[in-house]
Amino acid sequence: MEFEEVIGLEIHIEMKTKTKMFSSSPARYGDMPNTNTSVYDLAFPGTMPTVNKEAVVKGIQVCNALHMSIDPLLRFDRKNYFYSDLPKGYQITQYFYPLGKDGYLEINTSTGKKRINIERLHMEEDTAKQLHAYDCTLIDYNRCGTPLIEIVSKPDLRSGDQAMSYIETIRSIVSFLDVSDGKMEEGSLRCDINVSVREKGSPAFGTKVEIKNLNSIANVGKALDYEFKRQVELLEKGEPILQETRRFDEAKRETIPMRSKTDSVDYKYYPEPNIVPIRLSQDFIKEAIDSSNELASSKYERYTANGLSDYDASVILSDPETSRYYDKIVSYGVSYKLAANWVNGDIQSVLNKDNLSISEFKLTPKQIADIIKLIDCGKINNKQAREIFATLIDNPSLSIDTLAAKYNEGMISSNDELTKIVNEVLDENSQSIADYKSGHDNALRYLMGQVMKKTQGKVNPKDANEVLLNELNRR
Amino acid sequence: MKEVSIKLLKETANSLMFDMSEEEYALLKGEFDTIQKQMSLISNLKGLDEVSPMTFPYDVEFTYLREDTPKEVESPEDALKNAKDVIENQIRIPKVIK
Amino acid sequence: MKDYIHLTIEELHQAYLNNEVTPLEVVTQVLDEAEKDTNNAYEYICKERALEQAKNLKEEDKGNILWGIPYVLKDNYSTKDIPTCASSNILEGYVPIYSSEVFDKLEKAGAILIGKTTLDELAMGGTGTSGHLGKTFNPYDPTHERMIGGSSCGSAATVSSGYIPFSIGSDTGDSVRKPASYSGLVGFKPTWGRISRYGLFPFAPSLDHVGYFTRSVKDAASLLNILAVYDEKDATTSSKEVKDYTKGLDGNLKGYKIAVIDEILNSITDKTVIEEFNKTLKILEKEGAVLSHVSMDIDLVKAIYPTYVIISCCEATSNDANLDGLKFGLREDGKTYEEIMTNTRTKGFSTLIKRRFVIGGYSLLKENQQELFLRAQKARHLIVDAFNKIYEEYDLIYLPAAPSIAPKFSDASDTLSDEYLISDNYLAFANFGGYPSLTLPIGFEAGMPLGGNISGRIFEEDKVLNASLAIEKNLPYYNLYAKKETK
Repeated sequence: MEFEEVIGLEIHIEMKTKTKMFSSSPARYGDMPNTNTSVYDLAFPGTMPTVNKEAVVKGIQVCNALHMSIDPLLRFDRKNYFYSDLPKGYQITQYFYPLGKDGYLEINTSTGKKRINIERLHMEEDTAKQLHAYDCTLIDYNRCGTPLIEIVSKPDLRSGDQAMSYIETIRSIVSFLDVSDGKMEEGSLRCDINVSVREKGSPAFGTKVEIKNLNSIANVGKALDYEFKRQVELLEKGEPILQETRRFDEAKRETIPMRSKTDSVDYKYYPEPNIVPIRLSQDFIKEAIDSSNELASSKYERYTANGLSDYDASVILSDPETSRYYDKIVSYGVSYKLAANWVNGDIQSVLNKDNLSISEFKLTPKQIADIIKLIDCGKINNKQAREIFATLIDNPSLSIDTLAAKYNEGMISSNDELTKIVNEVLDENSQSIADYKSGHDNALRYLMGQVMKKTQGKVNPKDANEVLLNELNRR
Repeated sequence: MKEVSIKLLKETANSLMFDMSEEEYALLKGEFDTIQKQMSLISNLKGLDEVSPMTFPYDVEFTYLREDTPKEVESPEDALKNAKDVIENQIRIPKVIK
Repeated sequence: MKDYIHLTIEELHQAYLNNEVTPLEVVTQVLDEAEKDTNNAYEYICKERALEQAKNLKEEDKGNILWGIPYVLKDNYSTKDIPTCASSNILEGYVPIYSSEVFDKLEKAGAILIGKTTLDELAMGGTGTSGHLGKTFNPYDPTHERMIGGSSCGSAATVSSGYIPFSIGSDTGDSVRKPASYSGLVGFKPTWGRISRYGLFPFAPSLDHVGYFTRSVKDAASLLNILAVYDEKDATTSSKEVKDYTKGLDGNLKGYKIAVIDEILNSITDKTVIEEFNKTLKILEKEGAVLSHVSMDIDLVKAIYPTYVIISCCEATSNDANLDGLKFGLREDGKTYEEIMTNTRTKGFSTLIKRRFVIGGYSLLKENQQELFLRAQKARHLIVDAFNKIYEEYDLIYLPAAPSIAPKFSDASDTLSDEYLISDNYLAFANFGGYPSLTLPIGFEAGMPLGGNISGRIFEEDKVLNASLAIEKNLPYYNLYAKKETK
């Protein structure tokens, strides 16, 4: 009998906003414990929630990228349960009316593109962070209230590889939109899995198992591969699959039972009475969508249409910061190809050497664009450009024009002088002129070589070429 | 409507993180009988199923959303001064087994 | 020396303007009285703070009607650096680090906080008996046999004792308007969303209202001028324009249409209540109002109480889920966080509260929501629709605020029972629909006051106040309080 895995994912994404979902305390990571809290975050009696506009804007942007229908009436609900990291004893979420519904996403699979349907996207608030020490647990409320979006897929995924590709695509979307860091390892993207196994082709679903505690995309793949094997073995032995929650044990590379269905909590959802429904105008929604950052897929189209190879485009798009840096360079009007050479070549080497990310890179996109422009107009050659680049790395505040001027000392800069030299060369090489006129390109190269020789290279090749062509055409 | 047992009431109380005495549960069971009687009266109200559940006192929609600008922040000392067990600016509890 | 501590806000304000007396002199005397309180009205008296504040008031702010006016706050309003426990053991020792919007506004206006007052634990209850300090007494009954009602019992007891001109309460079912009836006060809760609830400890947010007690209708209007606000911190406050509620307040009711609901009135058996009420109907007519008796489906009226119980208990379970021992208030020991929470909550809540929580928790369970919580929310919808229908035709609804004078403790219970009286519980309709609703004294029986209640359309506080003034100016109950000689 042939089996297939049926997988649905629930992905929680921490949004990059300046303040919390329902309070105006800072939403920042890495600060000292409990330095970013408000009276609301700590659930002091009488505090009330207010909805963060930027979180709504970002939520709308993700909904739009996932082709979802957006509910223009914003409503919130309470999810009630007791836990040490949940100070209010409930979490404000959107249970009855999620911000987005009925979307989809295309993922790359081994057999081509596949459409994964997405059920819902809702906004909610994060819990406090617990530090588990040897003999106690310490609670840090800094994270408490950080805006989250939860994206729930339909059970359309069929393998660990597909699940990984789906998460990778979501990660790319939220990071390119600049909605989130989207880092699973750091917890800004978290994933819970629902998985069952059934006979291939069967319309029915098998018993659903939930897997939690996954901290990398690779582990999602491993957990699903393990779970598929485990459930198939049980089915083949005719043993029942328990409806339960399991966690992935990284060391053992297997899933381990956490709790059974009978322990499941009734969250007693009901509408949040402290937030009156909020009407999002069509203008507001449109503006949110229009101000979205460009997605990787769209950038890829743009890059390749402007002459980048698949490889170059993919390298630039491997990280949103790099592509943002790259886009700034090309925004100064330099060629996509030349900019890509610099970003993927010299800049990358510098970053690799010092193990830096592009956001830590010392030179501005404008500086890189200026260097490229100098090469482009023939003021400096590639070798000289690299020297300037290296100098700037050590001293980023130096003027590029000053550095370039050094290479231009003694250069023939007067057009008259250049025209005179070109005409001398032409006078000495009447055969080449004839060859050129009869269509031999070699002749032009030869003539150019003679010009360079006569000037001892002290001429801008681009200018020389221009004058040479001009003078040839006049004869 | 289904029978409300003491056991069920105890489970509900425990899920809300408290317990009560046997006498209290018995008293509560009596109150539940009253509630159920009254709620069945409500279920007979004319037009009950034609209306939607009402959360807010009147139909109202707002448009206000808070600007994403940090404003209020408490010092850790203030935030935690009402907590009974604090160490290194964090609330301490017995180790949570996940 | 003239008596300055039994004046209304308006009168005391005038005395300050005339330089007859200083806030410090008044506050010193008021604190004296407060410390002699025998009604169990206080959770906390802020003596030092009040004296300090009275000394530091600036002459140039004197024009503000609340400048130097002493008042008390129900102990479920968050007050920075002043203990606030909502009369519950679970908030033992809690000192808030932030202030409620209501407190902030009163402070800014120059009013002087004398103390925090007792309530039914966490504002859940209507008898003024369930707070951790025990019963609060009615100043009109020196034998201490009669209740003052709740949950705003302490706030009612201080103002009806006469030495405090106004106090802040909160009203989820009738928690200001019922005690006002029992203690001869003006008790007013404006429209839901008119005054910020930021910093008011929630009981059931969709029903919770800020409310307050005064001894004159004009004072109630003046206070609303100070308290009405669109507050970004409370996402349920309205941005509707705030009126000047004292303007045009003249008691002239020409053009007012007022409805009396027969099903509620007829459920009252107390003859004195009916007689006194009928007298006030004549007053309203005399002042120009057109009165009509209207009818309402009696089943809907009967549904008000159970609907209230289910909705308020459901909302309360989660509002009080933050009281878990970890962050503030009582903390009991335990080997796990679950044990700490369970031990703390078991010890910290009284039996009444716990029973209400179980009712709420049970009604919200997935398998019961449809039959309990959602059914109650639908009933709320039907009830509000029925009242809105009356308001389509009538500006105001006028009824006795309670079926009797304040009951004896021995006759009352907080246990839910089937033998409830329609007229004892109908006031919650104004919480269901968020209507402005005001109770004021209209008579006496056996030396105890009894009240009438006027409720209007949402955001029509002005009409409610004006009709109330019409009654007040035709009765001898302006600035009414339990006289010393009757104690």
